[in-house]
Amino acid sequence: MLRTAFLVSFLALAGYASGSWLTHDFHIWTAEGARRLEVAQQPVPVPSVSVEGPGIAAQTLPALLAQGGGVTLVDFFYTRCKTVCLSLGSSFQQLQVALEADRDAGARVDVRLLSISFDGAHDSPNILQAYASTMQSDPVVWNWVRVPDAAEQQSLLQRLAVVVVPDGRGDFEHNAAFLVLDTRGRLVRVFDLAEQQLALDFARHLAQRGAL
Amino acid sequence: MIWQPLRAAVAIAAAYATPRRQIWAGAALLGLLLLPALRQWLTASMWRHMVLQFPLWMLAGACLAVALPPAARAHVARWNAYGISGLVGVGTVLAVLMVPRVLDLALVSVPIETAKCVALLLAGAALRLSWQAAGLLMQGFFLGNMLPMTTVVGQLYIDSPLRLCNAYLLDDQVRLGTWLISMAGLLALGWLAQVTWMVLRRETPMTQSASQRFDAL
Repeated sequence: MLRTAFLVSFLALAGYASGSWLTHDFHIWTAEGARRLEVAQQPVPVPSVSVEGPGIAAQTLPALLAQGGGVTLVDFFYTRCKTVCLSLGSSFQQLQVALEADRDAGARVDVRLLSISFDGAHDSPNILQAYASTMQSDPVVWNWVRVPDAAEQQSLLQRLAVVVVPDGRGDFEHNAAFLVLDTRGRLVRVFDLAEQQLALDFARHLAQRGAL
Repeated sequence: MIWQPLRAAVAIAAAYATPRRQIWAGAALLGLLLLPALRQWLTASMWRHMVLQFPLWMLAGACLAVALPPAARAHVARWNAYGISGLVGVGTVLAVLMVPRVLDLALVSVPIETAKCVALLLAGAALRLSWQAAGLLMQGFFLGNMLPMTTVVGQLYIDSPLRLCNAYLLDDQVRLGTWLISMAGLLALGWLAQVTWMVLRRETPMTQSASQRFDAL
């Protein structure tokens, strides 16, 4: 009986330890929650993949992020998407309005928007250009790129833990979110779609801190 | 009377499932589960991942547990009074594996997938080695904890408007929730039926003798 009691305590302890490790001390339960927490604790540098887009010469993603020395709010999308990308697009339109208002008010807030397509095989710069004009994006604030090389695109998605799942109806489901990347090309925070204002405020704060 | 055919079926099954055959079946199942193609198919959908792959690994463990020689079994039993350690172990493994993050991690991390499968294999063996020893009271306590937990997790999967796993779709998640709840219900019914059967079987001879005595009067 004593042995059993000992083994039971050991098992309970082991269960507690693995549960606590798995859920970051019982704070999160999903892989997405873990990803966001881990990014906040330890920024993730983006891999040096080459990107291209309308008005953007082929260059590496870190180089693009370093341009102008600002903070970039990134979303992943694809132009054929009819669901979540559209709501992401309208969120980005609202963010663009807010950023233009900042600029007009004379504040030197260096926050830019970047939409990265994960359908690089289809979303050529021309298609991106057409999509960008329907979204009425202002190229000073909001840019669009794709990763032309499939392997590089995969490594980018993997590094940033963007998971794309075909939904069986020809569309893709993905963990859409606002990604905040700093000048050094690091993913520093991931915000939920519902946290648009928070994402903007965080990016502004980060940009101002960097400007000081 | 209604129990006669059922009892006969159980007796035939018991006679057919010799320890040797069980070990072979367990080993064959283990071999199948290790096939990358089958693993791919099982984990491609959320509900197959949890309500098919999980129990199959446990089943393999339960079959292979027969291979334990009597000496080793006695040794295990000393650490497993009334099957308590085994059932606590099974409960712990299943509770940890119900965290949605595990499903996503198991797809991308080989160490996590390995740990998951080994834990399920051991849990299956532990369940087999503990169930009889536990007796109805401990069994009832175990199921009384596990099945409501499964039902609650299932309901959470059904109700969640968000995808809990990045790798799986929302309708798959709802299907998994429905499966979990149905499985918990079926297991509860199955166990209750078994308990009823045992109680009836225990009572039948007594009733017979009582009626014989009554006839004799």
